[in-house]
Amino acid sequence: MLTIEQLSLAFGRNEPVLEDVDLTLEPGRFMSLIGPSGCGKSTLLRAVTGLQRPSSGRVHLNVERKHVAFLFQDDALLPWRSARDNVALGLRNQGRSKRAARAIADEWLAAVGLDGFGDRWPRQLSGGQRKRVAIAQCLALQPRLLLMDEPFASLDAIVRHYLTSDLLNWVERERLTVLMVTHDLEEAIALSDQVVLLGNGPRAHIKGRFDVPLERPRDLVQVRTDPRFTALAQQLWRALSEEVAPLASGIGRPALKVVNE
Amino acid sequence: MTRLLTGVYLRRTIALVIFLGGWELLSRNGYIDPFYLPPPSAIWGWVQGQFATGAIFPHMQATFGAALIGLALGIIAGIMLGFTAALMPYLAELLEPVMAMLNAIPRVILAPLFIIWLGIDLSSKVALSFILVVVLTFFAVYNGIKDVDYRLVERVRTLGGGPLVLIREVYVPSVVAWVMGNLKVAVGFAFTGAVVGEFVASARGLGYLLSYAQSTYNATMTMALIFLIMVFVMILFTLAGLLERHLLRWKYA
Repeated sequence: MLTIEQLSLAFGRNEPVLEDVDLTLEPGRFMSLIGPSGCGKSTLLRAVTGLQRPSSGRVHLNVERKHVAFLFQDDALLPWRSARDNVALGLRNQGRSKRAARAIADEWLAAVGLDGFGDRWPRQLSGGQRKRVAIAQCLALQPRLLLMDEPFASLDAIVRHYLTSDLLNWVERERLTVLMVTHDLEEAIALSDQVVLLGNGPRAHIKGRFDVPLERPRDLVQVRTDPRFTALAQQLWRALSEEVAPLASGIGRPALKVVNE
Repeated sequence: MTRLLTGVYLRRTIALVIFLGGWELLSRNGYIDPFYLPPPSAIWGWVQGQFATGAIFPHMQATFGAALIGLALGIIAGIMLGFTAALMPYLAELLEPVMAMLNAIPRVILAPLFIIWLGIDLSSKVALSFILVVVLTFFAVYNGIKDVDYRLVERVRTLGGGPLVLIREVYVPSVVAWVMGNLKVAVGFAFTGAVVGEFVASARGLGYLLSYAQSTYNATMTMALIFLIMVFVMILFTLAGLLERHLLRWKYA
């Protein structure tokens, strides 16, 4: 589905944030990228969508661009378009008529739990509802590859839980291939087949690839009590700490979330 | 609505009535010289007379014509210049300092020049209105496009939108928002341009009447004209506000 070869990414003439990255994502797999902030994981995702040009190496997509959807970190929608028209936009770009696109948009809004919200302006929606619109915007394109950049980072815990499990249901039902960037280690393990750990930037490299030995589909709550989950979490936590520690040594103990043991 | 009528609006109305009533009494009883400060009834009488005979209409037509033509041309040219400058950095390099300078000076000082170039008819007033509005609109659009929310541009691109879709979905609505946000100021500027232009040299218009009133030391007429121009601008402000609320309804909903 997606092959990344010897990819390096830099902003302008600065030192590359990310160097010599190789990744292969097979169809139907769910891969998470984790790493300390500033390691270029979001930039890597942007390179896959074509928003960021590689300074060397290549990104090979084995799927048409129109079948790739990108769920961004924030929930910025076009403020001057209704929820319906925000969802319809991608469909119209695929050449559908305004009317057909709006009809499909309404169906997807209903599918993400926003039945009857089509006429609302984005500022009339809550953060969670805007996120749902953004999800509908992505899913309406019937993507085969879904890219997500810390999609639920800005939401409170309860909304986050429900949105994550809803989205996971879609991923399972449509057998979507997913590449997700997150800084939440547990979220990464709970959702993915493989977790890829990036090191510190600049010139970040892949520090490790961890297969998640848990069957799918998973129950997001129960999976966290599985001994294989906690074992992997500890292993990943140690690996991540090695990357974070050099940065944090100057300011004492890293104030990061402790994995339940 | 009833709460508004009994609240702040009621208190304002009472204050206004007391103010005007006091003024009227003081002026009529000789406490203040009506030569300098004529009573409100005299000012209102002049306005009524003008509308009854229709004598004011050609003057209103001249001023409104100049202001509205200047406003329309200024907005159109401002949008076009702002758009091109934002998309063509080389043009912006040349245009920005000129506009910044025009923005810094009180642009009404150009009035005598426009009179020399274009004569005392409508065109010199339109030109002054135009120059006041175009600079304002240029900066609104130019900065508006440069400050377009880049996240929205990326959203539209990842949703498969090309340059035309970007212009339709992101740039044009952004520009509309910026121009509408400045529309009330632009209306005020357009009127200023027309009236000042007429004041400097003309044979018609509210500014011309004002200049005539001043040269004949007619305080009644002067204050009546100031009052009229105030009312007209308020009406245009209200219309501009309604248009803004309609076009930017996504913001006010």
